[in-house]
Amino acid sequence: MRKPILFLLIAAMVMISACSQDKPGKTGQTESKESPVATSTGTTDKTEKTDKMTNFVLVKGGIFKNTKSNYYGLNGTLSNFYMGKYEVTQKEWTEVMGTNPSQFKGDDLPVEMVSWYDVIEYCNNRSIKEGYKPFYNIDKNRKDPNNKSENDDIKWIITVNTEANGYRLPTEAEWEYAAGGGQMSKSYTYSGSNNPDEVEWYWRNAGVKALSGDWNWPAIENNHVQTKPVGGKTPNEIGLYDMSGNVREWCWNWYGDLNSDSGSLRVVKGGGWIGDISSSETAFRGKFEANGFGPDQGFRVTRNG
Amino acid sequence: MFKIKKKIAVTLLAASMSIGLFAASANAATDYWQNWTDGGGTVNATNGSGGNYSVSWSNTGNFVVGKGWGTGSASRVINYNAGVFAPSGNGYLTLYGWTRNSLIEYYVVDSWGTYRPTGSFKGTVSSDGGTYDIYTTQRVNQPSIDGTATFTQFWSVRQSKRATGSNVAITFSNHVNAWKSKGMNLGSSWSYQVLATEGYQSSGSSNVTVW
Repeated sequence: MRKPILFLLIAAMVMISACSQDKPGKTGQTESKESPVATSTGTTDKTEKTDKMTNFVLVKGGIFKNTKSNYYGLNGTLSNFYMGKYEVTQKEWTEVMGTNPSQFKGDDLPVEMVSWYDVIEYCNNRSIKEGYKPFYNIDKNRKDPNNKSENDDIKWIITVNTEANGYRLPTEAEWEYAAGGGQMSKSYTYSGSNNPDEVEWYWRNAGVKALSGDWNWPAIENNHVQTKPVGGKTPNEIGLYDMSGNVREWCWNWYGDLNSDSGSLRVVKGGGWIGDISSSETAFRGKFEANGFGPDQGFRVTRNG
Repeated sequence: MFKIKKKIAVTLLAASMSIGLFAASANAATDYWQNWTDGGGTVNATNGSGGNYSVSWSNTGNFVVGKGWGTGSASRVINYNAGVFAPSGNGYLTLYGWTRNSLIEYYVVDSWGTYRPTGSFKGTVSSDGGTYDIYTTQRVNQPSIDGTATFTQFWSVRQSKRATGSNVAITFSNHVNAWKSKGMNLGSSWSYQVLATEGYQSSGSSNVTVW
């Protein structure tokens, strides 16, 4: 059962590699040289400019160095790609979409309660807003026959423009590669550490008081565990924050068969504040209906490198 | 009524995701003790010796008290004696637990207070001297140990309340097999399995020994 999956992983990685442009970084990764953001007065705001330039990491591609990764030891190379340093915040969401669906409100908190379809739309809208070519084609008028979910009543048909420079979701391989530290990987269990408290917000440390023992939803709920402002913990080997914990992050892929054009669930990675700690291991493969949403479900964006 | 039902379901779900607070032997029904309340009203729960627990409650919000096993089993025969099960209002005397991969929450309800749980009817199963109606309900975008998830609950609900005060058994495999025959397949990874007393906005008392 595992071998076909491995072949598919390889195929997916090769495909990703072929579809991405190669712009090697000087080291394992570099900060993005994004265009400065113009303010409403037509001048460039220094603070916003700085924020903008430091909000992405150019992840240098290659083979998986992370020995704990599901992709470790497979043939195939990932190309360079940009990945958001942080989970998309509510401020970033609201600026693009106009409304904020999140259960826990705060500009610097990660946006949550967003479905996979919501975030696909966000990527395109943000691309348009910032002058990039949208990565996705969204057909809302027909139901995707490849979507086998019994619970998904949306089923938009989403196709990709592989050469577009717009925002997109990471593939599962990209997410896991980046979370594992890329070429600078130290093969941690969680993104950036073997000690989850150093690098992630999760049910034990994101409430009113610290919790111990085993996972217990009533205790979590009663302790008012919730999302935390992005970037509050130590980043991983390549400067990415909250890859483990805070909110789970949508990936592009169908769950199960990575190279398939069909399925019933989409992959979610990194775990969030609700699930048990095991779900925040970088190798853990989470899944969720594309129309699903919850207060622990968010995302981060990537762009072709 | 729907609101009440929903609330109870949420409570059971929430409680069902809990992991044992106390551990003892692996085989007796003593390695899992669950005692949760949302803080409303008064709930006095006692983790008795062996497989015994007792609880009295008054004007509560939600609570769940139960005892059982940290790891469930499809073939387990759950023996119990409910010396007392006297809810005034909403309450269940139920076996419940859950599996992961797939994420399924299941119930075998032997008795209840004023509200008998229901759902999408799938058929019946005869077991341990009674007939149970089989239902499924779906939980959409609800918290779970895997994070927010959409999953199914399996129910066997006795058609008439089971008499209390004597040694009785729940032959769980009868339910598992009946569920399977209806296309209701449990997951491959077993979490805990508990015989529990659960209540919502009610008063009452319960004293149960599980083995």
